[in-house]
Amino acid sequence: MHVTFVKKILANGEPCAKCADVQKRLESSGQVDSIHRVVIADERDPHSEGMRLAEQHGVEVAPFFIVEDGGRTTVYTVYLRFAREVLGGKPRRVEEAQEVLRANPDLDFL
Amino acid sequence: MAETLSHRIADAATPGEEHALAVLEDAFARFERIAISFSGAEDVVLIDLAARLVEDVPVFCLDTGRLHAETYRFLEAVRKHYPVKLEVLSPDAGDLARLVREKGLFSFFRDGHGECCAIRKIEPLRRRLAGLDAWITGQRADQSVTRADLPVEQDDLAFSTSTHAIVKFNPLSAWTGAEVWDYIRRRDVPYNPLHDRGFRSIGCEPCSRPVGPHQHEREGRWWWENPADKECGLHAQNVAPIRIVNG
Repeated sequence: MHVTFVKKILANGEPCAKCADVQKRLESSGQVDSIHRVVIADERDPHSEGMRLAEQHGVEVAPFFIVEDGGRTTVYTVYLRFAREVLGGKPRRVEEAQEVLRANPDLDFL
Repeated sequence: MAETLSHRIADAATPGEEHALAVLEDAFARFERIAISFSGAEDVVLIDLAARLVEDVPVFCLDTGRLHAETYRFLEAVRKHYPVKLEVLSPDAGDLARLVREKGLFSFFRDGHGECCAIRKIEPLRRRLAGLDAWITGQRADQSVTRADLPVEQDDLAFSTSTHAIVKFNPLSAWTGAEVWDYIRRRDVPYNPLHDRGFRSIGCEPCSRPVGPHQHEREGRWWWENPADKECGLHAQNVAPIRIVNG
């Protein structure tokens, strides 16, 4: 299994706060060792690798994870789901639902 | 469900209607485990369209417990008017009790609406979608900048899991609000009476308000929050190939 973590640099050059938060959680939980590669989606450079990966996988938010496992590729835009499904983390339904909403703001209009 | 009737598409009065009917027909033909998500607002158009194609239209609605009385009555009116199997989904009682016990009934005014919506809408939606392979929404591209490139069909990355792929259909994606209301009037479709009182986007009672004629419908929802707080979108600066999302 190969895991790529894509995080974002904002147009003003600052790191994205959500990406920094996820990075912190990966580090504090020791899960960072399961990340094989970190790629930057730089909003100032549409050709940056992270932006190209976002386009390739139809992803419109950051951070996200690309998990390649035996020829199968799965993209996760919700950190807690990634942590639960890939890293064996504990289910945290409400927090995960909040993260789904944050990554897909249109859902709250349903 | 898969037994659909293409000739009914020929009854369409407009190209948009014809397209939406074709999308719905395709969706119902391809998926057995599929349902329409109905918010109790003008997306009733979806139900009217689907009822022209299939019997016992599968519909679910997220009952947050905080909807307007008018919306509850409207849901009942829709249930009686159309041949639908209307499933009303409720939040998890334990999650809700904890939220109210710890933060009260109006935490969204202080903390933002994320946690409340997560418990009352997103988690029940996730539970329902776990039993479906596809769902249909009334989302339109003109409803917000974050929907500008809303496709008619998409892989649902929000709710698909590593073992269960979910497809999302948005048959009204290219419709304008005017087209929706033209359809409602032309076909005498029942609608939520709150629309006659200036509500254009209808959600929970505390979080929805009427808007003026020159306001965007989204200004009637969560007006006390700062939209700039949402910064997860990938905003390409100059380019084209990346879909631009303003969040």
